[in-house]
Amino acid sequence: MSRWSYFAKRLVLSVPVLLFGTSLVFIIIRLGPIDPVSAILGQNPDPRAYNNIAVQLGLQTPGGEPVPIWRQYIDYMTDLLTFDLGQSWVIKPSTGVYSIIASRAPQTIWLGFWSVLIALFIGIPLGFYAGLNPNTWSDYTASFGGIVWRAMPNFWLAVILVSVLSQSENFLFGFDWQSFVTETNVVTSPSLGFLTDPGQFVANPGPTFEEFVAATKQILPAALVLGSASMGNEMRIGRTAVLETINSDYVETAKAKGLPPRSIVWKHVFRNALIPLVPIITAEAFVLIGGSVLVETVFAINGIGKLFYEAILNGDIPLVGSLTFFFIILTLSLNILQDFLYTVIDPRVGYESD
Amino acid sequence: MAADDRATDRARTGPGGRDRGPDGDALRTVERPTLSVRNLQTAFFTDKETIRAVDGIGFDVREGETVGIVGESGSGKSVTARSIMGLVDSPGHVLEGSIEFRGRATLRRLADRFSGRTADVAGVEEADRAGAADDDDFVFVEEWDDGEPAAGYVEITRAPEKARRRLRGGGIAMIFQDPLTSLNPVYTVGNQIKEALRLHQGLKGSAATDEAVNLLEAVSIPDAHRRVTEYPHQFSGGMRQRAVIAMALACEPDLLICDEPTTALDVTIQAQILELLGDIQEERGLSIVFITHDMGVIAEIADRVNVMYAGEIVETAAAPELFGDPKHPYTRGLLESIPGRHPDDDRLRTIEGDVPTPNAPPTDCRFAPRCPEAFAECETVHPVSVAVNDDAGDHTAACLLYPEDRSREESVETHRARDASYAGGDGGGESGSGRDAAGETGPTEAGTETSEGGEPARRGGGQP
Ligand code: SF4
Repeated sequence: MSRWSYFAKRLVLSVPVLLFGTSLVFIIIRLGPIDPVSAILGQNPDPRAYNNIAVQLGLQTPGGEPVPIWRQYIDYMTDLLTFDLGQSWVIKPSTGVYSIIASRAPQTIWLGFWSVLIALFIGIPLGFYAGLNPNTWSDYTASFGGIVWRAMPNFWLAVILVSVLSQSENFLFGFDWQSFVTETNVVTSPSLGFLTDPGQFVANPGPTFEEFVAATKQILPAALVLGSASMGNEMRIGRTAVLETINSDYVETAKAKGLPPRSIVWKHVFRNALIPLVPIITAEAFVLIGGSVLVETVFAINGIGKLFYEAILNGDIPLVGSLTFFFIILTLSLNILQDFLYTVIDPRVGYESD
Repeated sequence: MAADDRATDRARTGPGGRDRGPDGDALRTVERPTLSVRNLQTAFFTDKETIRAVDGIGFDVREGETVGIVGESGSGKSVTARSIMGLVDSPGHVLEGSIEFRGRATLRRLADRFSGRTADVAGVEEADRAGAADDDDFVFVEEWDDGEPAAGYVEITRAPEKARRRLRGGGIAMIFQDPLTSLNPVYTVGNQIKEALRLHQGLKGSAATDEAVNLLEAVSIPDAHRRVTEYPHQFSGGMRQRAVIAMALACEPDLLICDEPTTALDVTIQAQILELLGDIQEERGLSIVFITHDMGVIAEIADRVNVMYAGEIVETAAAPELFGDPKHPYTRGLLESIPGRHPDDDRLRTIEGDVPTPNAPPTDCRFAPRCPEAFAECETVHPVSVAVNDDAGDHTAACLLYPEDRSREESVETHRARDASYAGGDGGGESGSGRDAAGETGPTEAGTETSEGGEPARRGGGQP
């Protein structure tokens, strides 16, 4: 089997996973303890209003008969799979789920982008550096720092960081984070107009650039917290992977060929060392989805994580369902991305040795 | 057997040939060995101890000749190869000794590239060379031809890393034990061959691809056009070793070092690879250093054999002579342990015990604890390489029993005197005090600690 037909197979396999995941969500929501109608109307509703809403939600026929559960399931699945996500019931009644997600998504994307970036561009280089200089002081410093960093739980780190940065002039020898570079608050949502309208960079460069800097500065503490665990992990795995690769026979062969160290490291070591890192990176991305719920809540960032949290608290079932569906798709895409990266980096993928 | 003829042809020029002074005669350079190792010492420094993995060895490799280095694991044979390649990694260091390499193309390239560190020693007597060369010179030109260096050598132990890189792959290539892991799994075989071609011959693009295909054909890989674009995992073990050999040939080396290249392969493939190496050698006039623990393989391929034990060469001879008339007790033990030598025995004969880890300069025979013929002096005198008898110029052994045509006292005295002159004040007799001397000819019990306060108190196999 060639590499790419293996990849195609993985792609096709993700369809049943998607169906299974969404069905699970349906079961949890519909068979769970929340009565959707009461969630909208509150306790002790007027029976007529109750019936109206129930019909509207597709739980009852207009004649007052309950709609059988398999019928509800089919409706639910067709809606989701045709991307008809419906409307929010509680958080913003009568607003399309699409527009709610669209208004919140940029914040989360911005946060996720920076936390992945921090993890990738600090964690991996540090790990590779430590692996190339094993058992030196810089290696010990990096490794020890990585373990400590990894060990700090992000809910704790988030709270500590918020309190330190809000009074940074007391803790950091007069360094005032809030007025550093540009004036910002620690706990706030960045304004991200430039994300939806990048044309502003050309049309109106001065203020847009300022907005960009402010948004970056605001997101950094949260991104640092969110990316901290991944960063520590990637560093550790990166170090081990480089050490393993550098002691491998093919590196010895490359040396015996007379290759200069630079091409040995860049061509023969790094690419092989990336292979064990791929699943780590994508697995970390899953953690980001969960972590964003927490970090967005602590840093008061109006993103999807916070929205999900609010939706569950308020029993906004269409919103929870759609967001879960959205997360499933995201997870599956990450999986596919992982397979894609594997296929590109490692030619042995899909090769069945016997 | 063709190999035997070649061996006897070359046996005429022993290591002694090197001592003739330079006489400006072009013929001489032909006789000069391609590689000449003298008193090489490589040690590994750990917190606990210093492991003298290679402890003062010397041997020559002539043009077109295959020299075998044989010994158990832990005897220092791989470290020898790595020292020649300049691939000894920290905490290992080459402490002393010289490795002269006479590859013509390499000499020319390095003299050109490192003209500032090239010494002109044309017409200078060997003894006076120190005066003619600067301290950091490592290329020595003995003869010029129209301003081009025509003869001379590169002193590898003094060469900077940059020059060694040009040497590796260029002048001296090496293939390793495990073909399954010595190719990078994420690049095509062609890519890895072309890498060497670009590095040493400046070939790029389709010219490089064509040459890579040629090389694969040269090592008898069928369907080379397709194979060149395939990945290592698509090759079988034997095919991979062929590809590795092709890669080693990519830069037309003068010397090929093979570190157990057939050990990981099964017997039929092993025979094919040996045959291939023989063919290539004949075609290209390649010199080969062949390292293995397998006496059977050595018998098939080597012209001359060096037997290594605990960092030292204990016996050297032309292959037919070594196999026909082994002298050193260790060599005899190795030969006894070849399967099939004693068809009537129901158990394989082995040498009991392990190779000791050499961690101090030798003051005794390192083989004594395992030697069936050890006697009292073996514990107090370090044997040096001597001719096994008066009319064997190039059959030497480092054992107190030789030269065999002298009385034992005389022989021991020869070793004592020569060792003292080698080691300066360092070696010597004081280490003998307080030791239980083993019985005259009784075998020392293998595997038990036999010495206090001296070495080899530490045991244990394994390459350092
Ligand atoms: S010197 Fe003594 S112990 Fe060493 S090999 Fe010879 S006889 Fe054996």
